[in-house]
Amino acid sequence: MTTQKKSDDRISLLQGTLDLLILKTLVFKPCHGQGIARSILRRSEEVLFVDHGSLYVALQRLEDRKWISAEWGISENNRRARFYCLTATGRAQLVEKSSEWQRLTRAMGLILEAGEGPQGEEA
Amino acid sequence: MFWRKRSAEDFAEEIKAHLELETEDLRNEGLSQEEAQWRAKQAFGSVRAVQEQFYLRRRWQWLDRIARDLRFGFRSLRHSPGFALTAILTVALGVGANTAVFSVMNAVLLRSLPVADPSRVVYLRPSNPPRNTGTIASQETISYPVYAELRREVHAMQPVMAYVPLATGKVAVRFDAVPEEAEGEMVSGQFFSGLGVGMALGHGFSEQDETNHAPLAVLSYKYWTRRFERDPSVAGKTLYVNSVPMTIIGVAAKGFEGVETGESADFWIPLQNRPELNAYANPPEDGKLYIANPKWWCLRLIGRLAPGVSKAQALAQLQPVFQAAAYTGLGNPQQGEKPPILRLMDAKSFPGYERSYGTPIRVLMMMVSLVLIIALSNVAMLLLARNAARQREFAVRLALGATRAILLRQLLIESLLLVTGGGALAWVFAVFASQTLGLWARIESSLAPDRTVLVFTLGLLILAAIVFGLAPLRIALATGVTSAIKTSQATAQADAGQSRTGRIVVVMQLMFCVVLLVGAGLLIRTLRNLEQTPLGMDVNGLVVFGIKPNTQTLAETNAFYRELLTRLRELPGVQGTTIMQERLGSGWSANNNMKVDGRLPEVRNRESRTVRSNVVGPDFFQTLGVPVLMGRDFNSSDTSNSPHVGIVNETFVKRFLHGQHPLGHRIGPASINWDMEIVGVVKDHKYRSIDEDPIPMAWYMYAQIPVLSEMQVELRVHGNPLEIVPTAAKVVAQMDPNLPLIQPMTQRAQFDTTIAQPILFARLAAFFGLLAVLLVATGLYGVLSYRVNMRTAEIGLRMAVGARRRQVVWMIVKDSLALTAVGVLTGAPLAMLIGQALRGSLYGVKAFDAMSYLIAILGVGAIALGASAMPAGRAASVDPLKALRIE
Repeated sequence: MTTQKKSDDRISLLQGTLDLLILKTLVFKPCHGQGIARSILRRSEEVLFVDHGSLYVALQRLEDRKWISAEWGISENNRRARFYCLTATGRAQLVEKSSEWQRLTRAMGLILEAGEGPQGEEA
Repeated sequence: MFWRKRSAEDFAEEIKAHLELETEDLRNEGLSQEEAQWRAKQAFGSVRAVQEQFYLRRRWQWLDRIARDLRFGFRSLRHSPGFALTAILTVALGVGANTAVFSVMNAVLLRSLPVADPSRVVYLRPSNPPRNTGTIASQETISYPVYAELRREVHAMQPVMAYVPLATGKVAVRFDAVPEEAEGEMVSGQFFSGLGVGMALGHGFSEQDETNHAPLAVLSYKYWTRRFERDPSVAGKTLYVNSVPMTIIGVAAKGFEGVETGESADFWIPLQNRPELNAYANPPEDGKLYIANPKWWCLRLIGRLAPGVSKAQALAQLQPVFQAAAYTGLGNPQQGEKPPILRLMDAKSFPGYERSYGTPIRVLMMMVSLVLIIALSNVAMLLLARNAARQREFAVRLALGATRAILLRQLLIESLLLVTGGGALAWVFAVFASQTLGLWARIESSLAPDRTVLVFTLGLLILAAIVFGLAPLRIALATGVTSAIKTSQATAQADAGQSRTGRIVVVMQLMFCVVLLVGAGLLIRTLRNLEQTPLGMDVNGLVVFGIKPNTQTLAETNAFYRELLTRLRELPGVQGTTIMQERLGSGWSANNNMKVDGRLPEVRNRESRTVRSNVVGPDFFQTLGVPVLMGRDFNSSDTSNSPHVGIVNETFVKRFLHGQHPLGHRIGPASINWDMEIVGVVKDHKYRSIDEDPIPMAWYMYAQIPVLSEMQVELRVHGNPLEIVPTAAKVVAQMDPNLPLIQPMTQRAQFDTTIAQPILFARLAAFFGLLAVLLVATGLYGVLSYRVNMRTAEIGLRMAVGARRRQVVWMIVKDSLALTAVGVLTGAPLAMLIGQALRGSLYGVKAFDAMSYLIAILGVGAIALGASAMPAGRAASVDPLKALRIE
C-alpha cells in the first residue's frame, strides 16, 4: 500500500496539491465544501481558484482514505451542509505532505533560481 | 475494505447544498439571484461529470484493489511454483475424485425418477404370487389380467401404467436397409402422460393407442441423438421392430430412459397383441400371448396416486382388488398357500440400484472422503509451513504500514487462487472420471453432473477455501510489527505450535492411509480371486451373439438353426460352433425342479431340488471345452424324431443320483409331462456368473423341445474371436437380411460383465489407496523438511559439539517412525470397520485378512521411511559452521 501511494503522488502532483490545501484548511475547524473553496480562494489572495466539482471529488477521495471524516450539520447561515473534519491519519498526512511540499518547493526554487546546467554528482 | 458506503443520493444532496450556499454568498456580495445562481453553477462545472466520477471512482477503486491483490497473489505463488503446483494438483485430485464418486452416487442412489412430481409416483409390487405362475421377478412382476383390473381403480390411482421389455436384451429393428438392435419396451397408453414426461418432439401415446395396439413408436432422446443425430424429420417415418412396421410419432424429453434400473430404453411402443411382439420375446405359451395369459406374471407396474389420496388409502383400495384378481383364471389357491400381497414402493429413486450398488458406493464415498481429508490437510499444512517461513516478510510489510486486514486479505486471495485453480482442474477431472466410472460399472443412466453435483463440488471448494483461509489467519494474527527484529524468536515460537499441529495432522493422515490401503488390499485380492476362478471351460477363442429368426413354426425354426450351424461351421477359421438358449455369463438361467425317473428325487439335509437348465445345440460341450466325464456330447443325429436325450453335470449326479450309474436314468421338468434319457455327464462349470457355486444342472437338446425362439450362437475360432463377427453377420444376412447379430462379444467379456462391479470397486479402491500414499508421502516429506529447516541451527549446534551424522539422521527418522507407529495403531481398528462394511463385497478373502493388513502396515512404514530419508539426509549434511552463522 505504501509504495502505491507514493507512485500516485508522483504522477498527479496537482491532485496532491489540492489534497494538501484541503487538509490545511481543515486544521483549524471543521468546514463544509463550499466553505473550504471560499477559504482557499481567500487565503491564497484569490490566486488559487479551485474548481468546485473537482473539490468534491477530492473530498470524497480523502474521506475514503480516512484522512477526513464527514457528517451532516447546519451552516452558520442555517443551511444543511456536510461538514468535514481532519482525522488523526489526516493530521499525520498533513505533516508529511507539508514537509514533502516544502522540500519540493525548495528544490524547485534551488534549480529555478540557480539557472545552471546539470552538475556532476557523486554516485 | 471497511469504509461505509456513501450513496450517490447523499452526494447529490451535498452538491445541491453547495450550490445554495454559494448562491447565497454571491447574493450577499451584491449579485442578483439569477446571476448568483448562474455563477455558482459555472464555478462548479458539470454536476453530472462529477457525479459520474463519484460513482466510477469507487468501482474503480474496488476493482483496482482486487486486481492488485490478485496480481500480488499470482506473483507470490509464482515465486514458489513447486508449492503452487503441488497445492493445486492436490486440491484437484481430492475434490475431483470426490465429485466423480459423488456424481455416480447422485445418479444411482439419490436422483429422483425424471418424471413430474416423483413423490406421488409409486411402483406396484406383488409378493407371494400364486404358486403355479411364472414370473420375471417374483417380487416385482404382475400379469396382464391383474393389471387390467387394477387400472380400473381410478379413485386410488390415476393412472396405473404397465411396461414390459420386448426382450431381455435388445430386439431387432430396422430403420433404413440395415438391420440393427435396440432396447424396446411396450408401455401403457398413458405411460408418458401419467408420468408427466414431456416430449422433445411430436407427441406420446394415448389410451386409445393401447386399446387398439396401435403401431406407433416414441424414441428416447438418447437413441434419437445416437442413431438419428436429432433429425426432426424422423417423426412420421417407419421403424421396423421384429419386422413389424411402427410409425415414429415422437421423442421423449431429454434424460428419460424408462423407470427401471439398468435399462435404458431406446424406444417405446404401446402394449401389443401379436406373436412377433410378445413380452420378453417369448414364444406363446399354450398359444397364449402375455395379454391372455394369467399364468405369466411379466409386467411391471407403476402408478400415480390420485389427487388427495395418500399411499395408505390407495393401497387399502387396491389390495382386495389385487387379491381377487390374482387368482382369476388360475383356479383356487392350493392348501397352505400364502395370499398374494400388493405393496406400493416409493419411486423416489431407482429401486434396484440401492440393492446392487448401495453398499459399494457408500464405502467408496467414505474412502474418497478420507482421501479428501488427507488432501486438504496436506495443503493446509503446506500453507502453514510456507506462511511460517514468510514471517519475516509479513513483519516487514506490517512495519512498512500494511494493516493486518490487508495481510490477511492477501493471504486469503492466495488461498482462493489455489482453490479456484484446483477447483477448475477438479471439475475437468471429475467429468472425465465419472464417465469412465459409468462405463466400468455399466451404469446406463446418465452420469452427466447436474446441479446437485455442482453444489456438492462448490461446497467442497468452499470448505477447502475456509480450511486454507484459517491457516493464514493464525499467522496474520500472530505476527506483530516488532517481531521483525526478533525473527529467530518468532520462528522458534511458530515451530513449537507448528510441530504439534503438524504431528497431529500427520498421524491422522497415516491413520487414514492405513484404512485406505487395507480396503484396497481386500478388494484387490477379491478381484484376483474372481479373475483366477476357473470357469471349467476354455473361454479363449469363444465369441457369442444372439439370433432371433423370423420363423413361424417350430419346424421352420429348427431348420433355420440347423442351416445356420452348417453354414457357420464351414467358415474358415471356425473350429466349432453350437447354440444355446441362455447365454453363458449373462446372469440369466432357467431354474426349475426336476423329476428323476418319474418323481421328485429324495434329497439329503434339506438340500434344494432346484436344477438350472439350458437348451443347447450339438457339440455344445466340445465347443466350450468342457470335459465329458461319462457318456457323450449332443450331436447332429439327436433330432426331433430320435429319443429325447439330456446331459447333466457332476453335482446333479451327486445330489440326485448318489451312488448310482447315472446314464440311462430319465429326467424331466416337474411341471409338465416330458422326459429325456441321461446320455452324458459333464464336469461342473460356470453358467450364469463367475462367482456362482456349483449347482445341479441339466441340458436339453434344442431340436427335441416343443418351443424355440431366440438362441445364442457360440463360435470357437483361431486367433482374435471378434474378427469372425462381420463374416458371421454376412452368413446370417444371406439367410435373412432382417436379422442383426444381437450383442456380439467374446465369451470372456461376457463372463467379465458378471464381475464388473468387483472390478470397478477394486480399481477405484486401488486408485484411492495410491492417491492416499502419494499425498501422505508428500505431506510427511513437507512437514519433515520444514522441521529440519527450522532446526538447522540446532542440528548445527549438535554437530558442532560432536553429534555424528548417523545420530542426526536417526533423530529425524525416529521422529517419523514414532508418528507412523501411532498412525498404524489407530488406523488398524478403523480399518477393521471398513473391512466389516466391505464383507458383502469380498470373495475368497476374510474381512480380517492378515495379508492385507500386513501389506498396508508395511506400505505405510515404507512411505514414512521414504519421505523422511531426504530431509534426514539434508539434516546430516548440515555444515555446523554455516548453520551457526545464520543465527
